[in-house]
Amino acid sequence: MSRRSFLKLGWAAFLGFLASSAGATLKFIFPNVLYEPPETFKAGRPEDYAIGVSLRWAKEQRVWMVRDEHGIYAMWARCTHLGCTPNWFQAENRFRCPCHGSNFSTVGDVIAGPAPRPLYRCGIQRLPSGELLVDKSILEGRPGLREKPQFFVAV
Amino acid sequence: MKLPLPPLPSAEELRKKIIDSQIWRSMFRGGLWKDTPRDRAQHILGNVWLHLHPSRVRKHGLKWTYTFGLGGLSFFLFLVLTVTGVLLMFYYRPTVELAYRDMKDLEYAVSMGSFLRAMHRWSAHAMVLIVILHMARVFMTGSYKSPREFNWSVGVVLLTLTLLLSFTGYLLPWDQLALWAVTVGTNMGAATPLLGAEGPFAILGRGNDVRFVLLGGKAVGANTLLRFYVLHCVALPLIAGALMIVHFWRIRKDTFSGPVIKPEQLPHDKVDTWPHLIVREYIAALLCMVVLSAWSLWIKAPLEEIANPTVTPNPSKAPWYFTGLQELLVYFDPWIAGVVLPTLIIIGLMAIPYLDPDKNRGVGSYAFKERPFAQTFFGLGMAMWFILIAIGSFLRGPNWDIYWPWESWSVHKPPPPATWSPPLVWGALCVGAYFALGMILPRLGKPDFDWKKALRNGAAAVVGASTVLKLAADLRWAQAGWLIFFGYLYYVLGILVPRKHLANLDKVRYAVTMMLVLLTLGVLMKMGVRLGFAIKYVLTIPQFSLNI
Repeated sequence: MSRRSFLKLGWAAFLGFLASSAGATLKFIFPNVLYEPPETFKAGRPEDYAIGVSLRWAKEQRVWMVRDEHGIYAMWARCTHLGCTPNWFQAENRFRCPCHGSNFSTVGDVIAGPAPRPLYRCGIQRLPSGELLVDKSILEGRPGLREKPQFFVAV
Repeated sequence: MKLPLPPLPSAEELRKKIIDSQIWRSMFRGGLWKDTPRDRAQHILGNVWLHLHPSRVRKHGLKWTYTFGLGGLSFFLFLVLTVTGVLLMFYYRPTVELAYRDMKDLEYAVSMGSFLRAMHRWSAHAMVLIVILHMARVFMTGSYKSPREFNWSVGVVLLTLTLLLSFTGYLLPWDQLALWAVTVGTNMGAATPLLGAEGPFAILGRGNDVRFVLLGGKAVGANTLLRFYVLHCVALPLIAGALMIVHFWRIRKDTFSGPVIKPEQLPHDKVDTWPHLIVREYIAALLCMVVLSAWSLWIKAPLEEIANPTVTPNPSKAPWYFTGLQELLVYFDPWIAGVVLPTLIIIGLMAIPYLDPDKNRGVGSYAFKERPFAQTFFGLGMAMWFILIAIGSFLRGPNWDIYWPWESWSVHKPPPPATWSPPLVWGALCVGAYFALGMILPRLGKPDFDWKKALRNGAAAVVGASTVLKLAADLRWAQAGWLIFFGYLYYVLGILVPRKHLANLDKVRYAVTMMLVLLTLGVLMKMGVRLGFAIKYVLTIPQFSLNI
């Protein structure tokens, strides 16, 4: 091996070391284990909800339960703009976000304001006991997909 | 027997004795102080803290009205923040369970705790303001010009770091203000193209995108608090400190800015840094300290309710220096207002010295006449930023509705009108035409046109076209008003001013400068179409979450 190619190899090894160190550091800042509250909760029975928007779980679970004439769905109370919690206004029949003024309808569609996409609905299913299980780790907001049984329990 | 007391040394003798002692001699370089020019120079050069100053400075640079001491005050505030910050750290634990409790302790149980916290908070606000003003001063006096281009760019990074330091410190009290400001701020990270879970062309998910790294989780929580604490107290101050060393060293090496010295003016009027500059620095720091102390005794730092990750206060407002950004976010998709525009502002600011074609013109004075184009557009940018801040701070109320300052927030406002977006083809045509024509139009005419006539004709054309549109498309008067306002604004600032002042620019500089001009005016016009015509996005491709 010539002196020149030996030095080249040395530099290559050094750069390789720097790159892998950077990669390892990048991996390091991604936590592997999270100590966050569980993302599922039992939301009672569908019969507990009247038609309309229920705020029963809003403060505790950040989820609105919405029942219409066909069934029930759980909407994640997080604005799709930048993550604040919108408020429900019964008289205006819409959700309004306090941070940048986005407005949403009861199905979750954006009426006004800067939010780029509809509100997310959470995964929902009926347990054998008859209770509803809401799963906030499964989310869907797109019309057409959000009406699927995974996000909608027919009553 | 009475012993005679030894005669007391006079003050002068005592002073001489101390200064000539071995201990003093070993600590401070130089002999007995005789106030000769050599002594004065030696005092600066022989002192590690003072030697970042040159031993002599131009008289011009000492004028209060030239610098207002803004750069020095920025550094002084950094020192105040370091001292108060270190003291606060003795009583603060960055955990979700304890942080807010420690805040209460600092407020009510720790001697001087409330004062120190107020001082830390208000110094931070003051530092943001003064760093911004320092940048404005340096721009307006042309002090960024060669050989100081690089130092200007370092300064822009330091401004960014000042904002980041403020932002990371914001979470630590763990109150409602903190949690929601950081929720919004980190969600902007999620709007980053490619690397954010909710941005255009997203390839990462909620569990591994930019926001996840910033938060150390999926939502603001224990990891976030610790991360921001470490960034705020260790990482960012270290980076800022390193860059400050570079910044100061470059000032020393590049010399203070001032009017260009012609050969016949040499030797010019320099004065000794000690005492002339040092005294001024001390006076500025002292005044600043008096104001800060009085302010901090008088007004406590705000502390809201304990952070609640499910309930957002209504309205939820950012600290004043970010309400402009918050207001901007109302009119744009988050990836534009939260990622693209801030990045472009920072890069655009850093690029200024390299775009400016004239190396000497207007250096050392606030003259408008010598640099009309630069002063106009920097003024426009600053005005836009502070007008947005004013709207966000004073005119927004519950549900982020517009409330005049004299209106009560308990009055419920009707919800905003429904928004709409034009079809993709129209949007693409509009955006494409705006940038393509915007580049060409200023170059179509000669720079020596009749300014008054052009203003008059343009006004007539804009008013005429808007009136025709109003009648043809059945617009409201307010909408016609918006058209006239933004149409004329674009005509003057987007066509006439560049036509007059950018004619001699080379192609690359012209393209970049004009792009920045068009983007600045584009921000205004996008706000106009939202306010006047309820247009949500001019261009939207929902499949890629790409909205403009």
